[in-house]
Amino acid sequence: MTDAKKLQTEKQLSEAQAIERAKQGDAEAFETLYHLHKRRVYSLCLRMTANTAAAEDLTQEAFLQLFRKIGTFRGESAFSTWLHRMAVNVVLMQLRKKGLPVVSLEESLESDDETLKKEPGAEDANLAGSNDRLRLQHAVGALPPGYRMIFMLHDVEGYEHNEIAEIVGCSIGNSKSQLHKARMKLRELLKTSRAEKAGKP
Amino acid sequence: MTCDEFQRVLPESWGAQSSEEQEHVKSCRSCADLVLDLQAISDTARLLQATDEPSPRVWNSIEIALRREGLIHEARPLRSFVFAWPQRRLAWLMPLTAVLALVFGVLIFERGGRSPGMSSGVETRQSTPGEFTLASAEEEQLLKMVADRAPALRPVFESDLRNVDAYIKDAELSARNNPNDEIAQQSLMNAYEQRAMVYQMALDRSVP
Repeated sequence: MTDAKKLQTEKQLSEAQAIERAKQGDAEAFETLYHLHKRRVYSLCLRMTANTAAAEDLTQEAFLQLFRKIGTFRGESAFSTWLHRMAVNVVLMQLRKKGLPVVSLEESLESDDETLKKEPGAEDANLAGSNDRLRLQHAVGALPPGYRMIFMLHDVEGYEHNEIAEIVGCSIGNSKSQLHKARMKLRELLKTSRAEKAGKP
Repeated sequence: MTCDEFQRVLPESWGAQSSEEQEHVKSCRSCADLVLDLQAISDTARLLQATDEPSPRVWNSIEIALRREGLIHEARPLRSFVFAWPQRRLAWLMPLTAVLALVFGVLIFERGGRSPGMSSGVETRQSTPGEFTLASAEEEQLLKMVADRAPALRPVFESDLRNVDAYIKDAELSARNNPNDEIAQQSLMNAYEQRAMVYQMALDRSVP
């Protein structure tokens, strides 16, 4: 067994043990589970809200909901998938509460398809090599929440489409479609930002 | 294969393109650039992976809620005195202190001022990001009392007070900026409750 696989196996045993102990009300088990997953949940909440206090509150709420229901976790899906599903629901509820538009993942956004269509003869952005973390981070913040969610889960956090489908409650095909639209939108945003920068004296 | 056909199947075939699609990319500059751009975006996205951590107050709040709801069944070892329930040798003093700290904090906030733990000295003495030095006279006195009885516990309480003061500062700012946000207001109340708890623990350690 390779070192990486060994570490993964040890981590899985430790998480599985923590889950069982948390079901019995073990305080340290709850804390173990929290520290194992806090960064990813917080990162998701932060990218969706762009506000550290709000992200922390949502992180707190997601973990509380998880811990209240931990007795019902049977292991049909990965624990992290289950947790992220709760985090996504908490985030979406908050966005709806604030009256922010949340793009339905099942909608086909034909208007977006038009704007994202490549115009023949248009100058290529040739963004390869010029994307940097900060510009992309800024562009991600400008994405509609539905696109941002799928992009975060897939390209940033590394979830597969079948996992994303389970987390957000959409089809695999829809997850792929939304991801592509998110990337196309980012390409357009980065192009615009680059053009604006080039145009500045 | 035309460009339209290629771009129509791209979302589904990404990462596993057919030979026909690969041939099209080789022969079409604009579709090749498109693929490169999207790949670059996807690759760079990995750099956005979680490096930020939530502040300690998040776990503090979770643990308080879990204990309050009875989901935590066993006493935990005293690693941090924020959550250790002390033996109430002077039972009458503890809840009184907690209530006074909570009420005082709320009153100060509602009047638009700073809470006792957040005197201007805390900010002016902050020399580097994330580094606080406690300047509140009340907190210094409390820590002195703790140190007199149990010197080894002072750094623990100092750390807890620092964390809870940072939490209160964040919560106050959020509540002021979002006066109609119930979550922000509740978060602020939680912050004051936490400080009340820290005072409670420290007092218990300092009273003979």
